[in-house]
Amino acid sequence: MKAINRSLLLLLASPVTGFALEPMSNDDLDTVTGQGGVYLSGDLTINENGGPLNSDGPAAWQSNCTAASTDSKCGARIAVNTGSSSTGWFVLDNIRGRFSFEGLTLKTRTINSGFVGDGAQFNSEVLEVGLPNTLDYENVSLTVANSNSPRPTDVGFQQTDIFTLNINGQANLQGNLLVYPTGTP
Amino acid sequence: MKKLIFTVAGMPTMAFAGLVSMDDSQLQNINAQAGVTLETAAHILIGDVSYTEDGNALQFQNIERGSQADITQNTLLKQVIDVSADGSMTIVSTQEPASLSIGAIRVNDSAASFGQFRLNYTADSTITVGAASDINNYVEGSFQTSISDAELIWTTNGYSVSFDDIGYDANIAMLGIGLANDGVREGLNITMDQLSYSFSTGGVKLGGVSLGTLAGSLALSGDAQIYAGGRSGSEGVSLDAHISILNDPANYVRFTDDGNSLYMGDFNGELTLDNFTFDVMPDHLLLGFDEFSGSFNANNILIGDSTRPLGAVQLDFLFADANGHSNRFALYPGIRQPLPASFATPVIASRAADFYSGLNSTSDGLSAAVEWSLANAEAAYIDDSRMVVVSGIESYGTGDLTLDIRGFDHDANAATADKTAIAVGMNGFAGSYSIDGLRVGNKNAPLQGGAELLLSMEVFQAMDFNLDGYTLITAGGTSGGGIQIDGDYYFTDTNIGLSVDENGRGVWATGVDYDIHLRGIQVDVSNSGISINRSEKWSTMDVDNMRWGDRESGRSLGRIVLERFEKGSSLTINPGGAGEVCVGASASDAAACSSAGGRWEDRGNEGITVALKAAFEPEGPTSDGTIAANRLTWENNRDVDVNGNPISGSGTQIIFDGFSTNDGLGPTDTNDYGFRANLKIDVYETKVAKKFSGADDNGIVGNQGDELIYDDDTRTTYTYVASPTAAQELLRPLGFAVQGNVSFKDFQINEVQLNHPTGGSQTVFSGIVMQNMDITTNLTATPIR
Repeated sequence: MKAINRSLLLLLASPVTGFALEPMSNDDLDTVTGQGGVYLSGDLTINENGGPLNSDGPAAWQSNCTAASTDSKCGARIAVNTGSSSTGWFVLDNIRGRFSFEGLTLKTRTINSGFVGDGAQFNSEVLEVGLPNTLDYENVSLTVANSNSPRPTDVGFQQTDIFTLNINGQANLQGNLLVYPTGTP
Repeated sequence: MKKLIFTVAGMPTMAFAGLVSMDDSQLQNINAQAGVTLETAAHILIGDVSYTEDGNALQFQNIERGSQADITQNTLLKQVIDVSADGSMTIVSTQEPASLSIGAIRVNDSAASFGQFRLNYTADSTITVGAASDINNYVEGSFQTSISDAELIWTTNGYSVSFDDIGYDANIAMLGIGLANDGVREGLNITMDQLSYSFSTGGVKLGGVSLGTLAGSLALSGDAQIYAGGRSGSEGVSLDAHISILNDPANYVRFTDDGNSLYMGDFNGELTLDNFTFDVMPDHLLLGFDEFSGSFNANNILIGDSTRPLGAVQLDFLFADANGHSNRFALYPGIRQPLPASFATPVIASRAADFYSGLNSTSDGLSAAVEWSLANAEAAYIDDSRMVVVSGIESYGTGDLTLDIRGFDHDANAATADKTAIAVGMNGFAGSYSIDGLRVGNKNAPLQGGAELLLSMEVFQAMDFNLDGYTLITAGGTSGGGIQIDGDYYFTDTNIGLSVDENGRGVWATGVDYDIHLRGIQVDVSNSGISINRSEKWSTMDVDNMRWGDRESGRSLGRIVLERFEKGSSLTINPGGAGEVCVGASASDAAACSSAGGRWEDRGNEGITVALKAAFEPEGPTSDGTIAANRLTWENNRDVDVNGNPISGSGTQIIFDGFSTNDGLGPTDTNDYGFRANLKIDVYETKVAKKFSGADDNGIVGNQGDELIYDDDTRTTYTYVASPTAAQELLRPLGFAVQGNVSFKDFQINEVQLNHPTGGSQTVFSGIVMQNMDITTNLTATPIR
């Protein structure tokens, strides 16, 4: 029997046409065919001791970055131009921090029952991402900004920092993320 | 009836050393000596030796044997024959430097030959033959031979590959020849007990440039039965054989490049060959076997760094008839070029025509029509006594292969000298492979999922493929020895299983056309491991449908096209994994890690470290003059043709166009750093916590957060434990523990577009620039039961 306790069911499907799947009861789960998969635990740390440009990059990036360093150069940077011109960039700057989790699962499985009758009609495989029960944040921070060009080394570069986020704590994540195709391929 | 026919083109010129009569005083100093001494100085020319079977002839032509300094001159062979008191006869032979040349090997006077072969050698041997102690043997004896300063050369069309400075010692303590009877046939039975064998080469050379050196030592025993009659016609030869690689810590094989070695030692195993047959057919040689099975255990594997073992490897395999396929190999003299109409696309036909240009029906080389069937294999990797088994490996298929040595204009410059290359052509390969899953802990543990974990090493769980490939291998890596590879490979109408269960259902990339172009791929062994430097690579993977479920009819996500263009990328594989790791915190010892809220893990000395650098280039010309770029396209809502199949290019596309890396100043900057991923991979006990309270898939009850702990080291049954003891922690599930680091200085996507053939294109993002990224992960990945 495949008994999966979920308090949250997330669906990611694209394009947006398709069946709406409802949570399954334990009885419905009896008919779910199981397939292997992977159980993942661990942590992910961004720029704990800076990035490669800090130690071996242009002078504008050089900095002695440690875990305790507050130099804004030490984080990662993402700049996105959403317009049609080369000016005006939305920036996530100085991205740093650690995420740790336990029990993220990845597997494919067949859903052919449950979901208030939708399962039998659906009768297809899904890629199931089992969310970890807890996700820990440790000194996760980033600055939201905008700039006139993508790189701090660009001539005439100017940037305005709007606000900075700093997150510590724990998020509870339960349930599964089901990914499957639908619509016209 | 099989016949051996000798056609002598030139009479052997043989001369005995001149004997001079001794006087009485000289005779007084000679004690009685038994036996006979023969000294033969000879130069031998034989025009043709033919092995004829069912009317078809395998011909060895223009055979010449003479002095190594000048093959047209005599070479001296001295033989001392002695009979001992026990009735055994001993022949001690000493061969002065000699050379043996075969001018051509043909089948039924074929226009093309397998090439020319030449062996230069100096040899000493001792053969002792006596009465049989086993009533089933006709004769028994022992055999020792030593070959030194030898060189083996294979030449096709004026270019050669050679094995230089070969040293070779073989010692068979007991060799018996007797009657074999399998209940149907009678033949010869050959037994070998305690065969010790060692070899070394000073260099494997292409055009005089060394790839590296080979050496090894083996302790074997075995037996073989030879019967008349092959697989075709009434004549031929068949063979059953069993070989044991004795469990001897001194067994080893070593490849050395510039003083750095790949080493496999302390290995043992068993090999069994059932009904291996050899037939001469009208235009080829036909080899085949009913079954070939074996087990192989290598306990010491070193790559570069001799202080850090990689771990141990165990392999069990069975080649046998399965899935409608057998194991057959048809070997043709010369190069059999495929017909242009046989290729899936004109592009492949054009590349094949270019690869075979300059060769014709009389060009020398080897062609093979291959059919293989691997019925099952189990491959185990053992890291610090922790075992993971890739289980249920199957493969089968057919294809045509060509092999020759040729000149290669490696820099497309007629003014510079060509390199000598080994040319390997693969035409019309159609095959399949699949992996059932993983077993962890031991070979009999329950089959689990998790073969998806191999994706990180670009090993897919299943694949049905059509492949044409053209490879040129030349000598010389980035320094000294090593090899360089230039190649073009074309997968067509291929299905790739990304996450598949034992019934073949899961996530499939189907209808895949994938062309890969490699230029200047240099493979070296360094003092730290294996390095592969990729001067240039471009490829296009066009997935017609990314399907969920069945590979033929599963729901499709649409079409995905990934184009790649790299220069100066590299891959290194080093021994040793992560060692001591603090998961979930930063600390340098167990106590500090625990107090910081982390989990301290000592993953041992063994393991593998893989370091990848991908330097993505901006759009530009390749060395072939074509234009390449890095681009990802996802297309759906496609029109369909009359057969209901989606038409590529007719739907809506989202395009991530022109992604590339640079060293921080933008696409005009240097691109030395690239995109880097370093993975330290170990097999280790991992903490698997129950995700919800109640019964799991197998009916085992536990509370949320309890740990899965096996009952014993057979790892078949388990319970959930709230607080495992230290002993129970050793019975945690085994999985892959990966300490990874991903970093890049600057990664740019030029634009993200939405495109439709009639609706036009719209820009979503005019640019994305990511900089100074360094992501470190400590992940454990455990197969789910």
